[in-house]
Formats: sequence, structure tokens, C-alpha cells
Amino acid sequence: MKIKDMIICSLFAALMAVGANVAPFLTIGGIPITLQLLFAILAGGLLGSRLGSLAMGLYLLLGLIGAPVFAQFRGGIGSILSPTFGYVISFIFVAYVVGKLLEKESVSRVHYISAGMLAIIVNYIIGTNYTYFALTFWAEAPEGFSYIVAWSWMGAYLPIDIGVTIFALIMVPKLKKALNYRPEVKQKAA
Amino acid sequence: MNNTLIIGQYVPGNSVVHRLDPRTKITIIFFFVIIVFFANSFWSYAVLTLFGLLSMFASKVPIRFVMKGLMPIWFLIVFTFLLHLFINKDGILLLEWSFIKIYTGGVIQGIAISMRFFLLILITSLLTLTTTPIAITDAVEQILHPLKKIKFPVHELALMMSISLRFIPTLLQETDKISKAQASRGVDFRTGPVKERLKAVIPLLVPLFVSAFKRAEELAMAMEARGYQGGEGRTKLRELKISKLDIWIYILFICVIIGLFLTRNYG
Repeated sequence: MKIKDMIICSLFAALMAVGANVAPFLTIGGIPITLQLLFAILAGGLLGSRLGSLAMGLYLLLGLIGAPVFAQFRGGIGSILSPTFGYVISFIFVAYVVGKLLEKESVSRVHYISAGMLAIIVNYIIGTNYTYFALTFWAEAPEGFSYIVAWSWMGAYLPIDIGVTIFALIMVPKLKKALNYRPEVKQKAA
Repeated sequence: MNNTLIIGQYVPGNSVVHRLDPRTKITIIFFFVIIVFFANSFWSYAVLTLFGLLSMFASKVPIRFVMKGLMPIWFLIVFTFLLHLFINKDGILLLEWSFIKIYTGGVIQGIAISMRFFLLILITSLLTLTTTPIAITDAVEQILHPLKKIKFPVHELALMMSISLRFIPTLLQETDKISKAQASRGVDFRTGPVKERLKAVIPLLVPLFVSAFKRAEELAMAMEARGYQGGEGRTKLRELKISKLDIWIYILFICVIIGLFLTRNYG
């Protein structure tokens, strides 16, 4: 791997840590919104699938070794137990799918729309299943807690996340132009 | 805000737990997390709790820092406790009040599961409270060293983690500076509908990304100019050493494991 790619990944993981905590002014009902989903999509869109998912994986590792990089300045191995840890895992895959769709030579509007939808779907499927898994496995929640309950909890955040996703996808081409950074995409031998 | 981030949750000190090699701490925590799930009787929980509390007092970290580590999953602990309390119907009926019925089985189960969480969080937050992230990175690199044989880029990963840790405070400062600069030009982050506030993030994001990428480029060039070429044959600034203390702690921990399996409920 080239040194420059490595460092860009590290800096993106650091940017993600900033994005998770930097928006105290963006609150809905007193709960600060994190810009993590935004940064995950940007990671995929700007760095491509390989480096983007690597950057997100790095972010996850940073949190696990105890740097307070997760939302609300949390971190540590203990965060694995938190029911919302699945979202942090999902960002790796979000960056990957978005990167896969947007790293092609010519990207049309259809690519952007499908990238956005896939990002949200991946984010929610992994995140919500993790919540369910955490509550049933570690907490050994009895039958009273059903799969549907887990999903209805998460549904509350959906409108915000859709808004953030659209915003992120508008930002991708703008930032690409400003940064003038082209990730190395492995070309198939013609 | 920036100061807390540089050192993470690390509480400086010179206690026994601080002086342990980070590799020892990581190994012990790894096995502790596994064996917690084997505890199923009163005495087995007592053995683990004793070990947990002993480590906490040995670390001399103020209790309020440990409590802070419990905050993220506080809700989960209370939630599971209540769930078990109300839904588990084993044992003798303790209390009946209209539709709420509490059985002894529910109380015991609820306490046991809450204890499990408490122990897990206690022991894992002790690691981050007594070890700097950079020391943990070094230790992880050493522990994963054998994976190099199967071409896993251990050194590169550790380097990338150190660079990230180094740049988080810098980028936070930068964000602060940019947002002040833009606010002075009239960008309003704090009022208006959510859509407008999201839009106000654009003049923050673009300069932030541009400067981060510029830094990356400069750093890459500086490293290349100094002939950086991966982990082969590099010497280290911080050397890790296993001392006598580490060996004693390993022995103590093995005793805890034996104690757990002796007091465990089989059947």
C-alpha cells in the first residue's frame, strides 16, 4: 500500500472521530445528531470502497483501544456491549457499498440514488440486528422483547438519517472537486 | 475538550495496574471477558467480583471515573434488570400488585445479569483508564506480530492507528478554528430549521477536508523523504517489557480462573 493512501485513511478515521462529536449545534429534541453516517458515506465516496472501508475499520479499532472517538466522546472495549455498537460496525460496510457504486469512471444520478438507499439499508440492517442481538444475547432478554420492538425503536431516527444521506451525496462531488484526490482503483486488465 | 482527547480517558498514576505491561492487561482482560459468561453461581460471581474490585482498588483510579465508563450501558443494565424482574416466573411469588408479579427467580436472574455487565465494564474500563491509547496500540502490534507470517499488515495498521491518534486533537482544533472563522463571516450554526443548519455545515466541511488532505499529503511526502519503508528492521522508541510483576499477576489470574471453575454450578 502506498504511504499516501495509508495516511489518508488515518486522517479520515480521525475526521470521523471529529464528525461524531463536532456538531453540538445540530440537535433534535436535545439529542445531538452525530455526523457519523455523513462521514461514512463521504469515506466511501471520496476514498473508494477499499480505502473507505479501511478508514472506517480503523475508526472502530481506535474506539476499541480506548480513544474517546465514538459519539459523546466514548470509547473502550466495553463499547462492544453497547446496543448501538452495531452502527459503528455498519459504517465499514456503508463506506464499502457507497465506494463500490461511486468509484466507477462515469457515475450517473442512478448510481447516487442507489448508493444512498443501499447506505441506509446496510446501516439499519446491521445496526438494528446488533441491537436485537445485544439485548437478547448479553442481556438475555426474555420473550417480551421482540424483533419488531427493536425495529420500531430505530425507525424514529429514519427521517434524520435520510436527510443526512441526501446531504452527504450532494457533498461527494463537491468535495471530490475541491480535493482533487483520486483513489487508486484496480483496473481490470483489458 | 482538546486536553481530554489527547490522553483519552487515561488517568495518570503509578499504581500496580499502571505499571503492568499493556500486553499483560490486554491478555487478562481478553480471558476475563470470556470467563465472565461461565459464572452461574453465587460464589463464582463472588470470585470474579473480588478480582474486579481488587484490580479497581489496586489501580487507585477514583471511582467516579469508573462510573463514567458505566454510563453508556447504564440504560441496558436497568432495562435488563427490569425485564427479568417482571417477566421471569421461576421460584416463589414475592410480590403481587395488580398485574405486576415478581418472583424470586426474576430477582436472582436480574441481579446476576446486571452483575455480569458491571464486571465486564469495570474491567474493560480499567484498561483504558490506566493505559494510554498509544501504549495499547504498541501492545496490540506486539500481540498480533505472529500474524505477519500470513501477510497481515500488523505494522502498517499500528502506524495508521498512531497517526490517527496524533491527528484527532489537531483536527478538532482546526474544526473549532474554521467554525469560528465562518461564524465571523455570518454563517449561523445554531438557529433555524435543521435543513438550514445542515447547509451551514458545508462551509465547515469543505475547508476541514481540504486541510486534512493537505496535511496527509505533506506527511506522506515527509515520510518518503526520510526513507520510511515499513516495519522491517525498525527500532522502537517505546520498548515493552514483561517484568516480575506481570508474572505474579498472571499467576493470580490463573488462580481466579481455577476458583471460578471450582465454585461454578454444574448440572
